[in-house]
Amino acid sequence: MVGKTIVITSGKGGVGKSTATANIGAALAMEGKRVAVVDMDIGLRNLDVILGLENRIVFTVVDAVKGKCRINQAAIRDRRIENLYLIPASQSDNKDVLKPAEMENFCNRMRKEFDFILMDCPAGIERGFENAVAGADEAVVVCTPEVSSIRDADRIIGLLYSRSITPKLVVNRIVPEMVERGDMLSHEDVVEVLSIDLLGLVPMDDQVVISTNTGNPLVAQKGSLAGEAFWRIAMRLNGQKDLPIQAPKVKTGFWGKIGLKLIGRS
Amino acid sequence: MEKQPENKPNEVPPEPRENRPVRLKGVRDSLWITLDPALPMDRLQTELSRIFQRLKHLAVNARVILDTGEENGHEALIARLGVFLKETFDVGMVSSPPKKPSLPAGDFRKREMTGSWRYRRSEVLMMSGRVRSGQKVEAKGHLVLMGDVNPGGQVIAGGDVLVMGSLRGSATAGVPDNENAIILSLDFRPTQIQIGGYVAAGLPPSDENGAEYAHVENGRVVVENYLKVNPYGKMPWPEVR
Repeated sequence: MVGKTIVITSGKGGVGKSTATANIGAALAMEGKRVAVVDMDIGLRNLDVILGLENRIVFTVVDAVKGKCRINQAAIRDRRIENLYLIPASQSDNKDVLKPAEMENFCNRMRKEFDFILMDCPAGIERGFENAVAGADEAVVVCTPEVSSIRDADRIIGLLYSRSITPKLVVNRIVPEMVERGDMLSHEDVVEVLSIDLLGLVPMDDQVVISTNTGNPLVAQKGSLAGEAFWRIAMRLNGQKDLPIQAPKVKTGFWGKIGLKLIGRS
Repeated sequence: MEKQPENKPNEVPPEPRENRPVRLKGVRDSLWITLDPALPMDRLQTELSRIFQRLKHLAVNARVILDTGEENGHEALIARLGVFLKETFDVGMVSSPPKKPSLPAGDFRKREMTGSWRYRRSEVLMMSGRVRSGQKVEAKGHLVLMGDVNPGGQVIAGGDVLVMGSLRGSATAGVPDNENAIILSLDFRPTQIQIGGYVAAGLPPSDENGAEYAHVENGRVVVENYLKVNPYGKMPWPEVR
């Protein structure tokens, strides 16, 4: 088995890297792939909470990288979604305990055991970023339609290109009503500035907050717009390159609402 | 638009060349002396001696032109100084400047129309691509970028900066003090521009659509529509920049 290591990064914090990692990972696992999601935000772990696995942590990614435990000891198996594994971050260490060279070695070992390894990169461009990127084959840059987020994503894209990784873009938290009013940048504006391949567009969704608090991935629930968007992103990563990209639209009028009710989303 | 003239170091040498009463330069096969005819005779003689003593044997039999800065008059002064120079330093011929201008009008045309730029080595850094946030492109001479400059990106040039795309980052032209440099972009939306020490930040969003350029005019950075103003369109013939 030769898996693919994908780093999910953004530069800026709080744009939805961990949510994206959890949901894309869950979607790929539900498609039958063996998936490991690795929390690289050492010292500020939270991917375990988003996946609802925080009470099962014994070993962490630091132990696995340093060889203090085997990979299958550190990988926590999700009981609801088959084939989904979490390698949690350590909460007591800091990002300097790992070195990029160790991470490359770790990624090589991981590729033998999983189809997809999703690295949840910490915010920033320092050691944590370097560690997460060291062994990556591909990169997904998450960005919100805000000027500050675009600036940081742009910087990250430059750094990824300098490591010969061609990143793909996910625009998160789009509010179609605000875009329509001209209060928010449209995804076209974002793509124009960043000019990399678009992987998917995710609308703003209140359910994200609920799902991260309850530890139940959105893609496992029906009727969430963000969940469906993440599902399509996962399918594109899984090789369905021709899956069309759907721009979030304003829910309009009576018939639009009826239509959504009929197919089971409200 | 704000501008802040940069504090340039005051380059004032102890005795500026222009202020010396007697100056020497070599013009073709002769020594061209510029002097101030208002000075007293003995002062002129000491200044001339100072210069010619340094020339030593080069002054022997040399052709000397005494330029008083005026067309006519001062023939007596020139004659007296001529005698002084011939006796003291053994120079050849002393005369006033030739009446005709040294570069006739006909030569101008010829010089520019021969296409002298063909033999000029390029001082332009030509690049393509996108300058992203945190990246910096520096050029000694002019810089041409086929691509965009993103917010947070930086382009710096000793000469002009031409961005064939949109400019949304910061651009610096004419480093360190060339105020004639321009910054041109097809989509001009920079965060900050600097031209030869003048800084302009917080440029108001313009309604103009199309190529705009920034240049320094009367100590201010001015942004104008390039095609409407066409600053170089009125030049009589193409020139090397």
